Amino acid sequence: MQTPHFTVSQFIEILNQTLDYVFPIIELEGEVSNFKTSKGKWGFFDLKDEQGTINCFIPLFSLRVPLEDGMQVVVKGHPKLTDFGRFSFTVQQIMPRGEGSIKKAFDLLKAKLAKEGLFSPEKKRPLPDHLETIGVISSTGAAGYADFCKILNARWGGLHLRVANCGVQGLSAADEMIKALEYFNEQEPVDIIVLIRGGGSKDDLAVFNDELLTRKIAASRIPVLTGIGHEVDESLADLAADLRASTPSNAAEMLTKDKRAEVSRIHDNLQSLAKYLGHYLDTAKDTQKSQLTSVKTLIEARVENAQNELQNTRKLLESLNPENVLRQGYSIVTGNFSPGNVVKITTHQQIINAEVIDVHNR
Amino acid sequence: MSITDKITKLNNQVQWFYSDEFNLDEAEKKYKESVELAKEIEKDLGELKNKIEIINKDFTK
Repeated sequence: MQTPHFTVSQFIEILNQTLDYVFPIIELEGEVSNFKTSKGKWGFFDLKDEQGTINCFIPLFSLRVPLEDGMQVVVKGHPKLTDFGRFSFTVQQIMPRGEGSIKKAFDLLKAKLAKEGLFSPEKKRPLPDHLETIGVISSTGAAGYADFCKILNARWGGLHLRVANCGVQGLSAADEMIKALEYFNEQEPVDIIVLIRGGGSKDDLAVFNDELLTRKIAASRIPVLTGIGHEVDESLADLAADLRASTPSNAAEMLTKDKRAEVSRIHDNLQSLAKYLGHYLDTAKDTQKSQLTSVKTLIEARVENAQNELQNTRKLLESLNPENVLRQGYSIVTGNFSPGNVVKITTHQQIINAEVIDVHNR
Repeated sequence: MSITDKITKLNNQVQWFYSDEFNLDEAEKKYKESVELAKEIEKDLGELKNKIEIINKDFTK
């Protein structure tokens, strides 16, 4: 058998072709050491475990989480032999692994983005008044998505959900969600975008601390609501979003009214209205009754006054009656009062004709 | 009319009874209308479903 014979360049090329064929894309987990950057464009570090070390290279635009020596990370990329015969791992994506590293990366990036104003309260927009179309970014196979739909359907109807089925964990999930955000912002406008992911470990949820995803959420023209993990889980995506729900179910509750509560509210309103109308009518009747009583009292008073006036007039007339004067012993004399003439004298009981004998002044 | 519009209409009708525009001549007619509208809303809410559409696009690419 003939021994293979190559030039150095040919051998490096064949080794790289072999590596490409066997390991086109792989993920490696290890601890970062000797991290340094060059010319603001490239990053270099060693990825190591107890027994081995691999040199890694990453273009800085692909570095979407802060990196520090000692952090445990998962990197995605491909192995390569350089023209200088050095083995290197070209990293495309990187994600912190383990609670300590995730917390460290979270704190560093949070401070950086907060300084840029990405989480400013004044940037937050409220829920639109009227929702018709909702853009949902989630994995349609995930429990969180199922919870969201179940609660939403139980509470309200008539909404149109446009669902972008994306990965919601793992190294490629951030890019998928970014594409979905771009899709809704540029091609399929909706009233609100909802980012949904059920509970999981810190590692599962670490994708929601991706810098580009966080920036994309903050820059979205359409308001974004997040419902990621459980109440205690806080991600940079939550901080950048306009609104944060504690869970996917809570996101559904924030978006919709409860139709049972709405029906109950309508019934209560109508009952209150019926009571109000009854009270209104009773009051109106009472008012009318009271007015009639007042009118009656007034009329009675006027009649009584008229009766009193009549009585007084009657008494006055009575006092002026000549018969009453005659009854008191006086008499009325009529006729020609010259001596020799006969005059008529009227008393209470008699009429007397008498002759005038003499007339003289008193 | 959408269900939201119907609910808004009903809320406005109920408010009319408490407003200065209220008058007894129209009250009975308006109350009957409100009760009918409430029944209609309840029926609509029971029947209304959400439309869920999965976007036909591969976001991994």
